[in-house]
Order: sequence, then structure tokens, then C-alpha cells
Amino acid sequence: MHDASRIHSNEHVGERLSGYLDGELTQQDCQRVDLHLADCAECRGLLNELQVLRERLGQSTIGGRNEQEWRESMDDLGVTLSRGIGWVLLLAAAVIIVGTLVVLFLTDPGVPGGWKFLIGLFYTGLLILFVSVLRQRWIEHKTDKYKDVEI
Amino acid sequence: MRQELAQLGNGAHALAIQILGNREDAADAVHDAYATVLSRPGAYDSARGAFKPWFLRVVRNRCIDLLRRRRPSGVDIDSLSHPGVAPDQRVEELQRDVAVHAALAALAPDQRQILVLRDYLDLAYAEIAAVLDIAPGTVMSRLHRARLALKQQMEQNHA
Repeated sequence: MHDASRIHSNEHVGERLSGYLDGELTQQDCQRVDLHLADCAECRGLLNELQVLRERLGQSTIGGRNEQEWRESMDDLGVTLSRGIGWVLLLAAAVIIVGTLVVLFLTDPGVPGGWKFLIGLFYTGLLILFVSVLRQRWIEHKTDKYKDVEI
Repeated sequence: MRQELAQLGNGAHALAIQILGNREDAADAVHDAYATVLSRPGAYDSARGAFKPWFLRVVRNRCIDLLRRRRPSGVDIDSLSHPGVAPDQRVEELQRDVAVHAALAALAPDQRQILVLRDYLDLAYAEIAAVLDIAPGTVMSRLHRARLALKQQMEQNHA
């Protein structure tokens, strides 16, 4: 806590000017700033400038969409859901197709056992790498501090 | 809840623009936040604070997530400077908006966010701290620095 006379005579109020402008100071701090402002034309000028800036920013248009458009955006959430269903179906089909091809390859009497072993080894390696990357991404996703935020 | 979310859309979009620097990506972030919130309506606990800062925090975190994935090349000042303008909007207001947005675009993302949260969305310091995930005691100093930076930038642009 600052000494009132020190603020009053020697120092400018600094960041407390913003707190004062926003009504976020304690009553005691507010009185100190009042006292300082009574004597300091520089801080009074800065306060006026900050007030004008705040009003200009508050009155400007930044977003640009109206409430109805955001309501429609919420109604579009079905698109997100259908995209999710699409991905699930695609993955399921891919798993079935790949599984069938593996079974056909392993049961093909025309391919020598040695080749089956080598090719199987190659694809098993690829699969392990893929699963490893997938696992890493999953862990990152689950521990992401920006996901599912609750205050 | 849908009504409240629709009302918060514009403010959330304004915040997302400051983070992503792009109006379309910002709209996507708000859309994603809607999906998150509506799919888990129980995630919000009214005992732990107001809905507005909570939703803005969800939007902000979604923006950070998108930013990490997309890495935009920079702030698109045009996208910040030309919001959907109503035909009858006065020229004076347009000029005012363009001047504010141009100055805002020149600031650091953290400064843009805190200015929008306080001066555009009118959040209290405690709510700003919750949205930005910073200590409540640092809001005043950060905000003051951001305001001084905005003032300086506007003076430079005007000169």
C-alpha cells in the first residue's frame, strides 16, 4: 500500500489510473487518486485521454455478425455431427478392407512362406510406428490444457 | 442457454479475431466453442462464476488450439478493420472504427485481448483474470500498459 502523501506530491498514479477509470480501486485508493488528480494536470490529461480511448473502443464494431447469424451458426452444428459420423464410417470401412486383404494375403498358397514373413514383418513395423504416433497424439489430446475448460 | 450463447457470439468473435487475426478462423473458433458447450451443457458450473467469462475462456482456448495447428502468417489488418458495416453507418463512425482497429492491430495479441475484454466486452478485472488465466492482481497493470500502447499507436497513426 502506498503512502498517500507520497502519491500526492511526488509520484504519478500509474496503473491505478486505469483502475480508477474502471471503478476497480478500493475506496481508500480511489481517494488517494482523487487527491493526486486534484494537483496533477498531467494525470488529469492522461485520464481524459484514456477515457476517450475506452469509449472509442467500446463504441466501435469489432465482431460484425448479429445475434441471428450466431443463432444460425448454432443450428449448423448438425454439419459437425454428420462429419463425425462420416469419419467413423470411413475408418470402419478401412479397417474391414485392410483386414480382409491381410487374411487373403496370409492364406494365399501362391506366396512363399518366407515372403509372407518378410512382408508381414515390414507391415507390422509400420503398424507399430503408426500406433505409437497415434498413442502420443491421443495422450497430448487428453492432457491438453486448452481442452474442455472449466473455471 | 442457446439464447445466451447467441448474444455472446459477437463479443466472442471480437475476442477470437484479436487472437487469430482472421475473421473466418475466428468465426470457426466460436462455432467450435458452441459445439463444445452444447454437447456438454453440464460442463458449466454456475457456482464457479458467470457464464460469460466461462464461455469466453472456452473460445479463447479453442483459438489457442487453432493457432497451434494453423500458425497464421500474421494479423490481417483488413479483417480487423472492416467489420460487417451497416449501410446506414455514418462515415464518421466508420473512420473512428478504422482508426481504432488499425491501432489495435499493431499491438501484441495479449494487449489486444485485454483491451477487448475490458473496453469492448466490459468485463470486470476478476472476470478478465479468469478468461486470460492470469493472476487477478496483474490485470490492472497489463491493462494500463495496453491502454498506453493503444494511445501511443493511435497518435503515431494519426501523425
